[in-house]
Amino acid sequence: MATLSALRWVGRGLLFAAVGLLLGSAGAVGITRLTGHPKVAETVITLGYVGALLGWLLGVGVWDVWAREWFGLPTRSLQGPGGSRFFRFNTDHKVIGVQYLVTFVVLLLLAGGLAMLMRAELMSPGRDVLSARDFNTTMSLHGIIMVAVAVATIIGGFANFVVPLLIGAEDVAFPRINALSFWIIPPVAVLLVLTPFFGGFDSGWTAYPPLSVLNAQGQLLFLLAFLTFGLSSILGGLNFIVTIAKLRAPGMTWGRLPIFVWSIFAAAIISLTATQFVALGLLMVILDRVVGMAFFDAARGGNALLYEHVFWFYSHPAVYIMILPAFGIWLEVLSHFSRKPLFAYKLVVGALLSVVAISYLVWAHHLYTSGMQGFLHIPFMVTTELISIPTGIVFLAALGTIWRGRLWLTTPMLFALAVVFNFLIGGLTGIFLADVPTDIQLQDTYFVVAHFHYTIMGGEIFALMAGVYYWFPKITGRMYNERLGRLHFWSMFLLYQVTFIPMFWVGIHGMNRRVADYAPNLAGANQFISIAAFLLGVSFLVLVYNLVVSWRRGPVAGANPWRARTLEWQTSSPPPVENFPYPPRVVGSPYDYGVPGSQHALPGVAGGAGSSEEKEVRNG
Amino acid sequence: MNKDTVRVFLLWLALTALGELLVLRLNLFPLAAADEAVIVDRAFRTLLVLAVPVFVFVLVTLGYSVLRFRSRGQPEQDGPPVRIHKPWVVFWLVWTTALTLLVIVHPGITGMRELHMKAAEPVDLVVKAEGGRWFWRVTYPELGVTTTDEIVLPVGKHVRFDVSAMDVLHSFWIPAFRIKIDAVPGMVTRIDATPTQLGSFNEDAQMRLQCAELCGLAHAQMTVPLRVVSQAEFEAWIATQSRQARNP
Repeated sequence: MATLSALRWVGRGLLFAAVGLLLGSAGAVGITRLTGHPKVAETVITLGYVGALLGWLLGVGVWDVWAREWFGLPTRSLQGPGGSRFFRFNTDHKVIGVQYLVTFVVLLLLAGGLAMLMRAELMSPGRDVLSARDFNTTMSLHGIIMVAVAVATIIGGFANFVVPLLIGAEDVAFPRINALSFWIIPPVAVLLVLTPFFGGFDSGWTAYPPLSVLNAQGQLLFLLAFLTFGLSSILGGLNFIVTIAKLRAPGMTWGRLPIFVWSIFAAAIISLTATQFVALGLLMVILDRVVGMAFFDAARGGNALLYEHVFWFYSHPAVYIMILPAFGIWLEVLSHFSRKPLFAYKLVVGALLSVVAISYLVWAHHLYTSGMQGFLHIPFMVTTELISIPTGIVFLAALGTIWRGRLWLTTPMLFALAVVFNFLIGGLTGIFLADVPTDIQLQDTYFVVAHFHYTIMGGEIFALMAGVYYWFPKITGRMYNERLGRLHFWSMFLLYQVTFIPMFWVGIHGMNRRVADYAPNLAGANQFISIAAFLLGVSFLVLVYNLVVSWRRGPVAGANPWRARTLEWQTSSPPPVENFPYPPRVVGSPYDYGVPGSQHALPGVAGGAGSSEEKEVRNG
Repeated sequence: MNKDTVRVFLLWLALTALGELLVLRLNLFPLAAADEAVIVDRAFRTLLVLAVPVFVFVLVTLGYSVLRFRSRGQPEQDGPPVRIHKPWVVFWLVWTTALTLLVIVHPGITGMRELHMKAAEPVDLVVKAEGGRWFWRVTYPELGVTTTDEIVLPVGKHVRFDVSAMDVLHSFWIPAFRIKIDAVPGMVTRIDATPTQLGSFNEDAQMRLQCAELCGLAHAQMTVPLRVVSQAEFEAWIATQSRQARNP
């Protein structure tokens, strides 16, 4: 019975979605009949999906929680205790954080499974396991799902759960927008999972036209999914910027903000302001497909290069949406587990914001070999290389923080230390791709594949793992098993290196990316990579087992098992709905380990919310 | 300087020397069969030489810290409350900025300049390559020959490739020459190479024209074997091809 009531709202969402799908499709059929437009199927898919998306959102809770007030009707809250709250249009940031985390960890495992399929095909040259079409769809799905995981897991999951706590707030600025940005995600996942039934899509996650205009209808599902996901990302960015700017507790000045909050602020600026560009590019491809426009059709005056510029104008900054929050977790964990102040805090804040600024000016380094004008090469090489300076500052902070600290090598700390190593390799190999002469050879080879896996998986996903173990006791109120945590760390860390280091080598030796087949001279290396990859996949089972079992039966963690100074640890685990009984009063830096008598915050007192100090902060 | 700093410095020195030795001695690259390949490989090796000290510095500091400063169990005391150390910050910023500017200029700009100067030399042979799903049509416009199953080039001659696409994006890549340029519908892109070594795909898989931009179903199979031959053999091959074209 409990399960049934938990799924009541999801069921209603599905019902409304079905109605929306019917209405949208009927509309599409009507329009194509009236106008004689030949692309009936594509029109039906597009309008049917728009109807289904609106129906889903209204049914799952937007109507009751939100839309009723537009018509002067009383709204209702879908909050509440028990497991069913995770299956509702709940506006509690902690519930939304858990919804994001669980959804995206499942997607991470799913896309990881797709990588295993690809490695099975690549075990030996020639065609073995998958058809050409299935390989391309598998590869493309792996790409886009992992991109979504990388963009949304830390921001949607941890930032949602932790940022309001870290700044001493009760919730985010716009709780209903927050819930909306989560409930937009399930339709995205459904569309992507359905692509193989519509002929798949073979364009990778980049979806360059003209291919993406000409191929099977699965491509259209992909385009709609990506577009919808972008909307969620924009709403999330908006919410975090306003939350951090406006809802800080009394005394929480910008100079006392934990670095994770700064990193989310920086990433949110990119989410809010760059995502529109990829949406524009995707929309133009959709219009080419569905309406028959010719933005990218050279024969009718279009230009294929245009898409590459618009796409990367978002998609390069997007890698900083992925990595900046990872820097935040990384430095946060290093400071708390070295019991030392975060080294060069102000410089790091400056570095994060500089990365945001420069990230908008580097996109064309993806286009060195695209045939764009030659005079653009040097300017983009310069901006791209310049980003190493702020990134270097983050490394300086990491090393300066652990130097002469008291390093407590728990699982989160091990993962954070591993990020230093992995991102070092990711960063240094990036220089080979930023420099034009070497990129001419390396572009579109496995060297690129290895490089971005070292930054995004070795950097971000390892930081995500640090976050999972670090905040697990706060989120669940229980402790994970440390021994299994270390087993997971060491197996994942070592197998990760063994899997991805050889990819640099096969890239240098002439293996291009996104291929199901390769020259026989690379057979041995690929077999080695595949076996290592399978074992790496198995190491994730240790994580899943540990998390599931510990969530149910782990020992009670207590409010602050790490004796960390930041605010989320100064309330119970898990925190009550209102986070803190009264807003805490921040009086110092969160990182002043070893400073005698220093304190980050004092517990709030009744009536403290309207104090003069708080007004000062809010007005300032 | 304290004891820890001195030890890290000495470790850095030793491991950097070892790393540089490996970088300079090891045979890192596959067959390089054109002047352009030599320029690109040299740029790659320069970047590796510059990367080694940075890599080793971070690695040694990290490894030393983990081994030397770890605490058994939850630490009872806090570490020293050092928020910043100006000399180190200045040292770090100066070096990272200097290295960044260096890699932009060398091998970045200098390597591009070398490639441009090569391309500016007189062209001996123009080859037209059109990419379509999933084949390459290679034409020798001055010689009136078209082929889809093999590219043959004379050794030591400056070849200019005029690259275009018939349907979707492709990319013209010859791994042994280290050259790559996309084939874009509606435009002609150019890239140059001067083959320096005789050889063929059968001897070394790097000798191939490979599509490097995802173009759909048979993208991986979109390759054409490459053969570099002497001028005399090249002329003979052209003659055979034209004869076959006339009497199929």
